[in-house]
Amino acid sequence: MKEIMTFIRRHKVPETKKAFEDAGYPALTIQSVEGRGKQGGIGGWAAEVDPELNAVMSAELSDDTKFNWIPKRLLTIVVQDDQVDEVVDVIIKANQTGHMGDGKIFVIPLKEVVRVRTGETGKDAVI
Amino acid sequence: MKMIRAIVRPDKTDVVAEALAQAGMPSLTKMHVFGRGRTKGIRIGDVVYDEFPKTLLLLVIEDEKLDEAISVILESAKTGTMGDGKIFVTEVEEAYTVSKGTKGL
Repeated sequence: MKEIMTFIRRHKVPETKKAFEDAGYPALTIQSVEGRGKQGGIGGWAAEVDPELNAVMSAELSDDTKFNWIPKRLLTIVVQDDQVDEVVDVIIKANQTGHMGDGKIFVIPLKEVVRVRTGETGKDAVI
Repeated sequence: MKMIRAIVRPDKTDVVAEALAQAGMPSLTKMHVFGRGRTKGIRIGDVVYDEFPKTLLLLVIEDEKLDEAISVILESAKTGTMGDGKIFVTEVEEAYTVSKGTKGL
């Protein structure tokens, strides 16, 4: 089993959920988080809406406001080992705009999964 | 790659983030969490505090930067009293950048 954590733009959540459903992965967890990437959050939250603002805002912001926390959504989805590539493709296809701030995907190995209702463990407990 | 989840005091969030940025690790995510440690909360007079607000910092880094990152967090988040937090490290197999569609950090 693998856990796929992906950080995406807030307004891309409905599209991503739709894409997941169409691909047959309806189960996911959504968390509201704040973060920044290797550019240090230039442009701030405004650049989430309009990527063109990245250039404008990074020129205008002074040094002490250089580090911005940008609101993001963290989607967590647990899948079988052989489904990882497909899910990663789905996420990239749904979220790619080509501008910085599209997000990251991390694939994490899981030792054990348990379904609370039935007590099933391992592969059976995933979806 | 390794994922570091550091649970720190909320008022230390920016201090830790700044220290990590100085050390060349600017990328991280924070989220607000509630929890308690082995002291099971504290009691002040009649009031029992079961859980405390904390900040969970989440960052993914290359293996060779792990020790440096941990020492930076330990130094910057430390106050010396109970409740300074914990650091957990887990394995990350793959990472992708969505905007370019490439593999790796």
